Amino acid sequence: MSKEARLGGVTAEPDASVREDHRIGLTAIFAAFFWLGVTSFGGNTAAWLYHQIVQRRHWIDDTEFLSGVALGRIVPGSGGVNLTVQVGQRLRGEAGAVAAVVGLLSGPLVIVLALAVAYTRIGWSPAVHAILDGIAAAAIGLTFATGLKLLPSGSSRVGPLAVTLATVLCVGVLRWPMLPVVLCLAPVSIGLALVRGRNA
Amino acid sequence: MPDDIRTLLSLVLVFVPLSLLSIGGGASLLADMEHQSVAVQGWTTAREFADLFAISRAAPGPGTMLSALIGWKAAGWAGAVTATVALYLPSSLVVYAAARLWGRWRGSLWHAAVERGLAPIAAGLILSGGIAVLRISPGGPVVWAAAILATVLLLRWPRLHPLILFAAGGGLFGLAAGLGR
Repeated sequence: MSKEARLGGVTAEPDASVREDHRIGLTAIFAAFFWLGVTSFGGNTAAWLYHQIVQRRHWIDDTEFLSGVALGRIVPGSGGVNLTVQVGQRLRGEAGAVAAVVGLLSGPLVIVLALAVAYTRIGWSPAVHAILDGIAAAAIGLTFATGLKLLPSGSSRVGPLAVTLATVLCVGVLRWPMLPVVLCLAPVSIGLALVRGRNA
Repeated sequence: MPDDIRTLLSLVLVFVPLSLLSIGGGASLLADMEHQSVAVQGWTTAREFADLFAISRAAPGPGTMLSALIGWKAAGWAGAVTATVALYLPSSLVVYAAARLWGRWRGSLWHAAVERGLAPIAAGLILSGGIAVLRISPGGPVVWAAAILATVLLLRWPRLHPLILFAAGGGLFGLAAGLGR
């Protein structure tokens, strides 16, 4: 599918921080993020957000999603919540960000407390741990599939692919601290993008 | 000052700094939360903290819902809400300000270059996140194999809803544990 098709034909970007082209209702934002919250098992909010907000609803495009992921990880806080704030802000400004975050967190908050009450009353069988392992495995699969789907594509992708590979090697395999790695790779990668943009 | 108000206040005083210092989230945040709630504040015992961590893993949503459970142990329902707001609000305000500022330059050449430059790094961070979770998973090689299988299935059939895969994973592992006993 082409990038334009995925965006639902929306290609012209208004020069503003909030998109005005097709305003999405606050109720719709709250509902979408509430559903995202109560279904995102395994703590991989970004992968679920990609599936439900980008692929199903086309509210933002791949590039916006990825830059949201990057910014969300280099500022303090949970990456998933930070990404949610940015998407909400992009869709409807201040109110959109509030609707998205409250939607995302309210369901899990109630569920986690209900689980805690149940746990203190009846305890847990070993089977529960096994079930959690199975869910965790599926969640990791969703994370990997999302990352692989978002690998750089296009004609001049050798440079970007090398950047992705370097990130995985340093942060994922060698477990170097994320922030310095990102701060070293970002200028290189942005420089590459500038050169590509000029040649295009 | 009544005791419960004092507890709520100390929840705020513990979680607001954690919110602003937790760059990269995850493991370091967990260690800090444990230190504060077990050793410093005495909200939970070490055993209770481990139980709460297991419960938070079972719930959907961002991994750090653990903060709500610590707040709940310390001061009931009000504590749960207080801890959640204290952990998420400050960092959310920071990222909101950053996103607004950033959005102002939308449409400029360098805005596009920065976005395109960050994209391959973000893809790498998502993959690294998967590796990190795999590494701390207590399930061992079976979980690795199941995770790879799930990846292949999702890439091969993009229309497959992840929830089906989640149910299948939980069901199969639960069944295997039941039969193994």
